[in-house]
Amino acid sequence: MMLIKTIQLGRSYKKGSIVIPALQDASFEMQEGMFLSIVGKSGSGKSTLLNLIGALDRPTSGSIIFKGKEMKTMTRTEMARHRRFSVGMIFQSFNLIQSRNALENVELALTFGGLPRSKRHKKATELLSAVGLENRLTHRPDELSGGETQRVAIARALANNPKVLLADEPTGNLDSETSAEIISLLKDLNANNGLSVIMVTHDFETAEKVSERIIRLKDGLIVETIEKQEVL
Amino acid sequence: MNLYDMILLGLSNLWRTKLRTLLTVLGVVIGIAALTSMVSFGTGMQKNITDAFVSNDIFTSITVTPKTLDFNEIASGNANLPAEAAKGDNKPLTDSTLQAIRSIKGVELAYPNLEFPARVKFLNDSASLTITAMPAAVANYKPYSDLLAGSFFLSDSARVAILREDMLASKLSISLIKNGEHQTLSHSDSAKGVRLMHPDSLIGKSINLITMSVNPSGIPSALFGMTSSSRGLPIEETLTELKIGGILKQRGHFSSGMSGGQVIIPIATAENIPRLGFTSIWDLLDHKKKEGTYASIHVRIDDLKNMDAVRKELEALEVGVFSIADQLQEIKRSFLIINSVLGAIGAIALIVAGLGIINTMVMSILERTREIGIMKAIGGSETEIRMIFFVEASVIGLIGAIFGLVLGWVVTKIANLVMNLQLIPNGVEPVNLFYFPMWLILGAIAFSILISLAAGLYPAMRAARIDPVKALRHD
Repeated sequence: MMLIKTIQLGRSYKKGSIVIPALQDASFEMQEGMFLSIVGKSGSGKSTLLNLIGALDRPTSGSIIFKGKEMKTMTRTEMARHRRFSVGMIFQSFNLIQSRNALENVELALTFGGLPRSKRHKKATELLSAVGLENRLTHRPDELSGGETQRVAIARALANNPKVLLADEPTGNLDSETSAEIISLLKDLNANNGLSVIMVTHDFETAEKVSERIIRLKDGLIVETIEKQEVL
Repeated sequence: MNLYDMILLGLSNLWRTKLRTLLTVLGVVIGIAALTSMVSFGTGMQKNITDAFVSNDIFTSITVTPKTLDFNEIASGNANLPAEAAKGDNKPLTDSTLQAIRSIKGVELAYPNLEFPARVKFLNDSASLTITAMPAAVANYKPYSDLLAGSFFLSDSARVAILREDMLASKLSISLIKNGEHQTLSHSDSAKGVRLMHPDSLIGKSINLITMSVNPSGIPSALFGMTSSSRGLPIEETLTELKIGGILKQRGHFSSGMSGGQVIIPIATAENIPRLGFTSIWDLLDHKKKEGTYASIHVRIDDLKNMDAVRKELEALEVGVFSIADQLQEIKRSFLIINSVLGAIGAIALIVAGLGIINTMVMSILERTREIGIMKAIGGSETEIRMIFFVEASVIGLIGAIFGLVLGWVVTKIANLVMNLQLIPNGVEPVNLFYFPMWLILGAIAFSILISLAAGLYPAMRAARIDPVKALRHD
């Protein structure tokens, strides 16, 4: 079943009188339950594409259809709702709130999701336990390793049962061993829980191992779409 | 996210930056303390004055005069100007007018205002005082119903005088001993010959009134210079001996003069005392003044709500009507202006505190830009982000208001104490200069929150509009 469809999607930025195209004519499709990777060098437009799918940004041209709904015409409130319930995001720099512990970071997402206070603690504990952090609940991000911090971010991204997990260079700040663990966790979530995943990475090898489809970007343009069969 | 969650989130955010929050709250505390102490001074003054009016039953009193009397003159204290009253063709106030007034429904008491000057001799002192004549029936009304010592006269012809407490000290050098107090005279008072006496010990003592009157039989001799009087006028002095019946309490610091002269005597007794029938030079110049007419009549009504009905009936008698109750709105308006000016001065401090809140909130947003981006990325809407900052601003306002009220109250109590420490040695009763009515307390809290919300408006809007993509890249 179709989850995301982009049609000639574009995002450009203005710097004075100069228009810089970050993404141009990007058209692709993604089915539910798919693990899709977007690869390319720095500045190729990978994160821009992910931000548009995650409703953190608006396209300047083209359109994105998410579960049959045109995202370009969404109001700001609808965009917030999309970020809250439809997608879960993880980042290279983790983006946890430093002053809050693991549990509180996950609870904050549940709070935005409207879960009653009485159920929040239990759900957050379950999510953190599911990513193997049952002993790190009250640790703050600066008391956790990089891998653990990213696990907290994954638990937070899953808090409101999103349709798709958007991972922006999730292993960019991790050593190879920890990176492998995180990629394995993402693959497990995809394979066992049926969660759709879009991973942005500059590491083609990693993308190759786990993805069913790889989109290669260069200078804001999709230059190649590789299906899993071809990869394998 | 519901309001409770927002409040908890706001509180935890404020708690994270304790020192900065504390300093910002302190600004609001000082602002609210300044505002409330200023306004409480205004409301305190208003309360003291209106309480004095109420305790003297002034609001249910009406002064009736011949119609052309200028009421502003009365308000300024020149109520006894019969020359003004009787000029022109206006109806003078006569016994029939008095009877007509007494028959009006709602009028409990009506008697002519009768005041005259006299020299009063008591023990070894003498003083020139104003004598007021009143009927015995006023004993049922405040402030005559509650005396410091003795009792009010029961008959209009009793040979009794009621003295005012404040007059004893100021005119007759008598300092009264209050119940349960051990009083001693200061050296300066002893040197001035001030006597310390118990109020009850004054009751029954003789007091002499010396009045002057014109002796008609002496006029021809005076005209032909045949008198031995040093002034050459046919004037006689009459001594009237009365007993002290009671001491009238001083009620508040603003009530002097509201309840008649310094010595009150029964009306029939007063009428029999020979005296000059004028209280000012105008009386002498008023050739139209007739015998049996009154300069003004004092009317007491049973209830303030009957004021309009009684006033209409009085106006039908073609007389001038004046009551303090009419001036009540004017008094209230005057105090509103005073309170507004005092409030505006206090509000300046609060507005400065508001600028402090803006500064704190803007700083907070700059520091928390990435956090705001994170909140947006995990689903926080602009409304929720805005509300979180609004809650933070209003919590600063609320806490500031509560502690500001406490500080304002403490400061005014100290100011009052210092003031009374200065007043008490001078024989002045302790006074409450400040008053915190409920509207001031609730109004100050509401105003503080309002200022805080206004101060939080710009920062909250700014926070809500932060671009999440840029915010997430923010260091």
